[in-house]
Amino acid sequence: MKRRTFTVATAAVAVLGLSATTALSQELNIVSWGGSYQDAQSKAIFQPVAEKMGITVKEDSYGGISDVRLQVQAGAVTIDIFDTGSGGGARGGAEGILEPLDYTMIDVSNFVPGTYQDHCVGTITFSTVFAYNTETYSDPANAPKTWADFWDVEKFPGTRSMRSKFWGSLEPALMADGVPMDQVYKVLDSEEGIERAINKIRELKPHIAVWWKSGAQHAQMMKDGEVDMTTGWNGRFDVAIKDGAKAAYSYDGATLDYDCFGIPKGAPNKDLAMKFLAEASKASYQANMPQYITYGPTNRDAYDLGVIDPETATRLPSHPDNAANQLVIDNAWYAKWEQHASQLYQDMLTE
Amino acid sequence: MAVADFAPGAVAEPQDEPHATGLRDDAFRERMAMLGLCSPALLLVLVVLVSPVAWLFWLSFLANDGSLSLEHYERMIASKSYARIFWTTFQVSTLTTMLCILIGYPLAYFLSQLPPRAAAICLITVLLPFWTSLLVRTYAWLVLLQRKGLLNNWAIELGLWDEPVKLVHNMTGTLIGMTHIMLPFLVLPVYGAMKSIDRDYLKAASNLGASPVSAFWQVFFPLSLPGLFAGALIVFVLCLGFFVTPVVLGGGKVIMVSMRITDNIELFFNWGAASALGVVLLALTMGTLYAASRLLRLDRILGEGNG
Amino acid sequence: MAVTETVPRSEALPITIRRVTKTYGQVFALDHVDLDVKSGEFLTLLGPSGSGKTTLLMALAGFTRPDHGSVSFGDTEVVRMPPHKRDVGMVFQNYALFPHMTVAANVAFPLKLRKVAKAEARERAERALETVQLGGYGERQIDQLSGGQRQRVALARAIVFEPRILLMDEPLSALDKKLREHMQIELRHLHEQLGMTTVYVTHDQREALTMSDRIAVINHGRLMQLDEPRRLYDRPANRFVADFIGEGTFLPVELSNGSAAYAGTPLKLAEAVNETAAQELLLRPERLSVLAGAAEPEVNVFAGKVKELVFQGESFLMYAALADGAEVAVRGATNRDVMERIPAVGADVHLGLHRDDTVLVAAGED
Repeated sequence: MKRRTFTVATAAVAVLGLSATTALSQELNIVSWGGSYQDAQSKAIFQPVAEKMGITVKEDSYGGISDVRLQVQAGAVTIDIFDTGSGGGARGGAEGILEPLDYTMIDVSNFVPGTYQDHCVGTITFSTVFAYNTETYSDPANAPKTWADFWDVEKFPGTRSMRSKFWGSLEPALMADGVPMDQVYKVLDSEEGIERAINKIRELKPHIAVWWKSGAQHAQMMKDGEVDMTTGWNGRFDVAIKDGAKAAYSYDGATLDYDCFGIPKGAPNKDLAMKFLAEASKASYQANMPQYITYGPTNRDAYDLGVIDPETATRLPSHPDNAANQLVIDNAWYAKWEQHASQLYQDMLTE
Repeated sequence: MAVADFAPGAVAEPQDEPHATGLRDDAFRERMAMLGLCSPALLLVLVVLVSPVAWLFWLSFLANDGSLSLEHYERMIASKSYARIFWTTFQVSTLTTMLCILIGYPLAYFLSQLPPRAAAICLITVLLPFWTSLLVRTYAWLVLLQRKGLLNNWAIELGLWDEPVKLVHNMTGTLIGMTHIMLPFLVLPVYGAMKSIDRDYLKAASNLGASPVSAFWQVFFPLSLPGLFAGALIVFVLCLGFFVTPVVLGGGKVIMVSMRITDNIELFFNWGAASALGVVLLALTMGTLYAASRLLRLDRILGEGNG
Repeated sequence: MAVTETVPRSEALPITIRRVTKTYGQVFALDHVDLDVKSGEFLTLLGPSGSGKTTLLMALAGFTRPDHGSVSFGDTEVVRMPPHKRDVGMVFQNYALFPHMTVAANVAFPLKLRKVAKAEARERAERALETVQLGGYGERQIDQLSGGQRQRVALARAIVFEPRILLMDEPLSALDKKLREHMQIELRHLHEQLGMTTVYVTHDQREALTMSDRIAVINHGRLMQLDEPRRLYDRPANRFVADFIGEGTFLPVELSNGSAAYAGTPLKLAEAVNETAAQELLLRPERLSVLAGAAEPEVNVFAGKVKELVFQGESFLMYAALADGAEVAVRGATNRDVMERIPAVGADVHLGLHRDDTVLVAAGED
């Protein structure tokens, strides 16, 4: 519903505003996820870059990569730059609805490895970790640390929660099953490997009280004490902890994922957008993000500028100390296996 | 034509049937005018109801590359989860409907026996949930029912039970939330049917020797059945497509068709897979309604009314 | 009414009503009513709407709880007995036939409640339907019946369990005139045949006169008069009864020493004057006659002028102004003899009223 309205609205804007856009070609239309995340982006990146380049940036929130697809398919593109999850960027690229990025202009030489792709350049990193209730597991020396601990209901009795979708769920299962981190995607690259991961989750299923659907939900559950351990996104847990949740998490064995910027095929100001991304990918802008929200930069140089206070820096997903212990998400694997894996995951869930 | 009617001899008409043709034409024109008056409504129904369903139907037969194919339906057969999801959907709908009947019927009966003023006030309280956001009501149940929620805390404090009872993030929670939300849909038609039952029927039953209990079961209850069926049908059909409440209160364990539809849009990036689910749900719903109407002879019960 | 099998004649019960009172707020719906209904009698409660006649019937059926008073069926006090234990048949104004049951099921309903065996119940229901001349209609749905047929089904249902008392609440009011008159006669016959004590409510005075053994006229929750139809019509106790039943003009009379006079002329009266209350002379239009020559000795004569003549088919209506200006109506049959005697409008006329028809009534409140 929302999506349809959006399309109709943008189509109308495209027709009515086309001349205006061409006349003022020094304007970019950027869309992102809204909320506190986009506020942070606006203050740390969008507006400072616009100021530097002497252009105007018009911001909007949107419904995800499917909005981009609809615009491209309708031939009425109004978006110049959008923010998406790495998976969305990979799919958009594979579908051919995105402009390839010019990496001679955009400097990714010191990015966290794997946080950029042909059609989408990383801007922040986040991790899928597990958080545990510090009242249930109150001895810090004996707190759950690894995915094997997450699975060990004898040593750590209590309720668990995992995501209701397979994204980010199979990797921990394999690690819990003893697969070394650097072998995870290799093992997963076969039907047997996927089966193995699903079986491991099946084993934990009786102890899973809730299959969570959103970040807000898993944060709230930790706050309310609804479950004792849950997978989830580090930023959300930080907010919950700041809000008084008795919870803690570590980056060991977490999966590192990122959000990235892309340009829709046929964007009205494609060249300007490319220049904008080259500027916005610089460490000096990315370094400003953590003061607004605890997501880490993709450009590792940001840690060396002294902008991020050391205390905060050590808590960010992409901080070298944290990144070293994490598995970077492999979008190629997702592109290849997601429909198959998703199906098996759903079968397991409905058993 | 109209002029010809008044010109003698212009139309070959038997002398003893004057104006027969003209009167027939008038009748025809009148019918056409009535049809003309209805046409905006018909058009609206066509545009708003028929065309989206037709579009959905069409999309469900398109593969990702745009060619005609049955792949979306084949997937439904191949994967075990779909059958289970449909089963869950019907299970939740049936149980919710039954709970609504168990709670809603006595409630409607109570309301129908109140003096009009008191009934109006009570009806407003029944309808109140209609005016609050569905999401708010659903989350309110979460707050009440969760592991460290109000209900568990009180019960443990009062010593009713020692360990938190799992009231939510499962079928129980889903049914509680759905029943709460669906209740007015059952109460209203049942209340309406009960109000329209002539009190003289009950007096007659009583006069003929029926105790209050047998007057209720032999006269009042059968006469309220059309309302009960209408209400139960509305609840059942609304439940089939329900989304928010099972998502929030089901804890991912109660997976209904509507939820899989949104998942499929996310997963397959096209409407086809989701459309196919919609088409099957629609077909199963229609099938259920048909079966119900045959089984319960609804047409007859509904047709008889309270005359 | 050639019926082979019918509902058997029942042993009727008398009804005794004592000081039954029902108030709604400040208003008396029933005001200390005393009434005896004889065993097997057809008694009609007659009154305008809001008079309390239906309230009284409902008190007999048990649907209205009086404030105080006593109601007995035979020797049994029933005033506190719930309706379903009173064992009285009742025909409702709108029949109240159950729309979800067939005709047969409706009629068998009271038998089913009385745990009568299925086969017997079916047989008795059919017999009851035959009694009301609806044999073979058992499988019909209620909405397939005409108004008259519904009325009969309601009756069959009320008599099938052989109650000793039958109550009827304006059962014919929904029927058209012809059918109503037919059913009046038929109900009367049925009553004679079954013999149950019947209390019948109507606001239609002609219906009451046609059907009843006795009529109780009720107004403002009080019993105005209880009498046989003929007596009620000829000797109404007060102006309300006289006015409500039949037509009439009321003339003022002077009372003195046991006799009454109108406009100075002494009246020849049917009964002695009751001097305890103010009295009026009741002139019923059909009891007045147009005099041709000298009056007979037993006839009172009123002189006046013809004001208006109305021809109404089976009768004519004449309005005449008396000497003191009072206007009276005269009704007569339209046979040749009478028609020839009628003077023209504006002419003088002499009206005669036989002594037996010269009745004084207590001057009314209204």
